[in-house]
Amino acid sequence: MSVDYTIEPPVVHGRLSIAQIEEMVVKPLDTKPDKKFYIAITISGTFLMIGAVLLLITFYYGIGMWGNNQPVGWAFGIVNFVFWIGIGHAGTLISAILFLLRQKWRTGIARFAEAMTIFAVMCAGIFPIIHTGRPWLAGYLMPYPNQHGIWVNFTSPLVWDVFAVSTYLTVSLIFWYTGLIPDFATLRDRTTSKVKKTIYSIFSLGWRHSHRHWQHYEKTYTLLAGFATPLVLSVHTIVSFDFAVSILPGWHTTILPPYFVAGAIFSGFAMVVTVLVFVRKIFDLQQIITLDHLDKMNKVILATSMMVGLAYGTEFFIAWYSGVAVEQFAFLNRAFGPYTWAYWIMVTCNVLFPQLFWFKKIRRSIPMMMVIVILVNIGMWFERFVIIVVSLHRDFLPSSWGMFIPTLYDVGILIGSFGLFFTLVILFTKALPVISISEIKAVSDGAQPSYHGGENHE
Amino acid sequence: MSQTEVNYQKKELPAILNKVGLVLLVVGVLLGIIAFFVDTTRASFNYLVSYSFLISIGVGAFFLITLEYVTDAIWSVPIRRITEFLAAIIPFLAILVIPILFNMHEIFHWTHEEVVAQDNVLQGKASYLNISFFTVRVFAFIAIWSFFYFIIVRNSVKQDSSGEQNLTKINSKFSAIFIPVFAISISITAIDLLMSVEPHWFSTIFGVYYFSGTVIASLAAVTIAAVLLKEKGYLPKVTNDHLYSLGALMFTFVIFWAYIAFSQYMLIWYADLPEETFWFLQRWEGSWAIFSILLIIIKFVVPFIVLLSRPAKLNPKRLKYIAVWLLFAHLFDLFWLVMPGMPGMENGYVFSWIDLVFPIAAVGFVIFLFSMKAKKQNLMPVGDPKLKRGLDFHL
Repeated sequence: MSVDYTIEPPVVHGRLSIAQIEEMVVKPLDTKPDKKFYIAITISGTFLMIGAVLLLITFYYGIGMWGNNQPVGWAFGIVNFVFWIGIGHAGTLISAILFLLRQKWRTGIARFAEAMTIFAVMCAGIFPIIHTGRPWLAGYLMPYPNQHGIWVNFTSPLVWDVFAVSTYLTVSLIFWYTGLIPDFATLRDRTTSKVKKTIYSIFSLGWRHSHRHWQHYEKTYTLLAGFATPLVLSVHTIVSFDFAVSILPGWHTTILPPYFVAGAIFSGFAMVVTVLVFVRKIFDLQQIITLDHLDKMNKVILATSMMVGLAYGTEFFIAWYSGVAVEQFAFLNRAFGPYTWAYWIMVTCNVLFPQLFWFKKIRRSIPMMMVIVILVNIGMWFERFVIIVVSLHRDFLPSSWGMFIPTLYDVGILIGSFGLFFTLVILFTKALPVISISEIKAVSDGAQPSYHGGENHE
Repeated sequence: MSQTEVNYQKKELPAILNKVGLVLLVVGVLLGIIAFFVDTTRASFNYLVSYSFLISIGVGAFFLITLEYVTDAIWSVPIRRITEFLAAIIPFLAILVIPILFNMHEIFHWTHEEVVAQDNVLQGKASYLNISFFTVRVFAFIAIWSFFYFIIVRNSVKQDSSGEQNLTKINSKFSAIFIPVFAISISITAIDLLMSVEPHWFSTIFGVYYFSGTVIASLAAVTIAAVLLKEKGYLPKVTNDHLYSLGALMFTFVIFWAYIAFSQYMLIWYADLPEETFWFLQRWEGSWAIFSILLIIIKFVVPFIVLLSRPAKLNPKRLKYIAVWLLFAHLFDLFWLVMPGMPGMENGYVFSWIDLVFPIAAVGFVIFLFSMKAKKQNLMPVGDPKLKRGLDFHL
């Protein structure tokens, strides 16, 4: 396939008209849910219920039901937290950073990725709270002047986490909602049902698609993108501080902040690809979410995979270079200790398999990319497992060494979080337009200022 | 795409540029030679700072070129030739590195066998930190960078006359391979040249730290050249919109540098392990403390404030000044990284004229090289298939 560099490749394929785009995106909202929908929601709902039941049992008996022990005090709870926070990074990256980088292709996937961000952060938020064992005391995480004179420890990165994640969730929600306003107005103007009209009218905040509205909208959107960009990088940075400020070998290493951020983008993109492949097929959106989109996303996955690989290599090399015996031991133990399988799952899934994306054929092949992105999801979960559990299970004193074996409850609650995530995603596809209608119209053929009847593409 | 469509007419750069570059270079080199005779240690350390500075501009500029190819960027095409001229530093690094190799004993105390013999930690590192392996690494990286440089730039220049689309495709492929190679080589270069000045110290983020400064320095150098050429009318149809992106990228990488620098400092300060903190404590001795504070102001606070607003990034004059400032900031940063490790400067900074010599030579060298390259080649990649779209670029 030869590329013509003199023309701008179209973002939307098939030369859709503006009305066609609108019909295509709104269709799932206008039609009654079909059988496939009910099957999907039953499966994800079942997972969610499994998690909920096991969580309730945990609340009743306490977190002794989990595999946590001394010295492995942090295990699945924190692994899952970091995993889901990481998944949540793709959305804001696509919607804010790619927006600032003027990447027009982001329009097709931004809405969906942002929604996934919000759901993933919700999943993530559960874990630190249940992990404390007394979730009903979580209110004290917020610093407020109270009669008991109890304050949070401001020098603890765990508290910074509370601020970072809650700020991130708030800003992501606002950003997402701002993008939705013009679409709510479109939905309001289309619908014939009175109830829906009322709801859409409330949420569209009186939007009339006027020139002045658009001007304000563009400015707000740019500003929010500017705010969200440092925020998205800061969240996983602060998550990395949870580990890096300590003096535990394997945790305390200065590269952790950028390495965590790269890993988060990596896993987030993998999850977005995983879900988008289904969404574009089921809702017939192949002309808007094209193979070019997936191709580009796979390139980002390849790039971030190599960043993560470079970080693994750097950590290993510097552990040797440092000359610090415990540091050297920690890394050798990762690779060849009792959890050697976890380490090599992480390396193969995160660094080796994504290298297949060097080939254009594989980047554009749906089955191949499905396999690779699922491996990446697995690999990134194991990365957190390796960092957290494997660093903890060998304490400074050999007499304090231990092993961590997950229980049914650990695994079940993890499955439950997937259930929650996919239930929310499935509900979202039926409740809101999964693609930004107004933004897609702005990048479709004919919307460019230089457009004079389309002779460029004939 | 033919040349007439973009209406590019090659104009010679004024001869004065060449002369200024040559004079600075000759003066710098002569003073440098004197400096080596007067105080070999100080001259060697200073030479290392300026050499790292030139790597930043040359290799960094080449990284920007490859980034353009990989991401299919449009806006930067009209100014790519300027970046290519700056990347021309790369093959010269093989010559420029020689004074360092001859003065390794002055700079790196891990080269002293008697010191290593009494030091367990350094013995552990000896299989990596030894003169022969060090030399191999230095030349291997210069060879690899030069290899990619010659292929990609040759194709780009060839395109001026042929306008072949396929050359862009070939360059994109080579660029994609270059970027991971660059990531590894620049990290190891940072460890070798800068971190190993204090061989006991280690920090995993150090490669990223040098990389962030490298991108700032190369962007700043491109910005200075682009703004000056545009002001004098050498780059027809390049608008402030093109420059905006340079400003935005400088702004981004200033923040990125601050982020990396803060992460490194905060994590070491918080964990408070003696094997790591001594490096920062060294930079808090005597007058080095002033340097440490100034570094934050010069490399982050000032450029952050100056570049924050949108109009600032669309103002060529402001971009030009802040770019000069940032080049200085990167030099200052490298100075701060290297010089406190010099014997005799442990307790604070002592001024010497030698500190000023090598930057003069470096700047003269870059100007001279730029003007020599500009004599032979067009100032714009006139045959690039993306050039027309690049010139049409608007925010």
